[in-house]
Amino acid sequence: MEERTIDHLLEQYLYLLHEYTSLHAELNKLQAGLYQNLARANFAAERGMRYGQDQYDDRMQASRRVKVALPSSSVCPTFEVVKVEEDNATTTTEKNTVQASSVSKSEVVASEEGEEKVAQGAVNSSREAAEGPEGGEGMREETAEPIASSAKETKPKTSEPKAKKKSKDPLRWFGLITPMPLRQAQAQSVQAVEEIIPRLVSINAGMAQVEIEVRRARKKRAKAEAAARKSEDVASKEEVAV
Amino acid sequence: MASAADYKDRQFLAVIGDEDSVTGLLLAGIGHVTDPPDSQKNFLVVDNKTETAAIEAAFESFTEKRKDIGIVLINQHIADKIRHRIDTYTAAFPTVLEIPSKEHPYDPEKDSVLRRVRRLFGE
Repeated sequence: MEERTIDHLLEQYLYLLHEYTSLHAELNKLQAGLYQNLARANFAAERGMRYGQDQYDDRMQASRRVKVALPSSSVCPTFEVVKVEEDNATTTTEKNTVQASSVSKSEVVASEEGEEKVAQGAVNSSREAAEGPEGGEGMREETAEPIASSAKETKPKTSEPKAKKKSKDPLRWFGLITPMPLRQAQAQSVQAVEEIIPRLVSINAGMAQVEIEVRRARKKRAKAEAAARKSEDVASKEEVAV
Repeated sequence: MASAADYKDRQFLAVIGDEDSVTGLLLAGIGHVTDPPDSQKNFLVVDNKTETAAIEAAFESFTEKRKDIGIVLINQHIADKIRHRIDTYTAAFPTVLEIPSKEHPYDPEKDSVLRRVRRLFGE
């Protein structure tokens, strides 16, 4: 019985081991590509420039973070790397700007209505004065300008958070226009971090759990064997006594 | 069995590696510097001048002192320098993973996980 349990556990362990080695091979491939792309970017870079630690941002914040979960059905944890869109600080500023923009929008609408009324009044008065249609259009154009300018004023407020979001990309540490190999290196790195590494560490945790179970089962088997041997010895002694 | 308190706040990946490995991984957005005055980084760039004591201190910081690290990635050739620490490390969190570097390809013989496998099969 114990033998069968151990065999089953070892089978499971070998399956996990196979997955671990194949994932490691995949990681090796991705890392090799990443190093090659980094080397290409460094080769094509300006003289004296190197894509390395000199350009790191000292205030960097992680945009990809680990999420550990312990499924109720199993005892070993599963790891996941997820992209965090914005941190709390950015979200609050964004909310503020959204509120500010909604307020300014309502103000704009109100001012637009007011201006339209003023414009209508002006048109009416101009019609009353029996002026040509050109004068009315001229007035409309004049009144349209403040609306456009107020709309322009609101635009920079809404574009601020977008700029903040962009600056979170680690590629920006190396300048606004980055070479293609560097972007390819980033894509490979993201793939490794999001897909391969979490699976590798989850499998590692699974293997550690199976190891514990195998050792427990082996201990149990050793105890059972020792107990069987003892009972055999007692039986043989009794036979000799008889 | 791990409790939720053990892993609840472990949200960062840490890296100990050569410059290219760290740069590559930071490009994915895993780099993090905590708020001042501590300003603790979750990575260590190792070069020829870096002493083994500094690598060991970083490994200790990531695995024992800091409670916000979930995964520690370390270049295999650097792990070799502190092999005794890597092999005796048995905690579930953070988990340690050896990765290849530019000049030192991955050697399964040295991997701590595969050494564990050999021990299990009695070799």
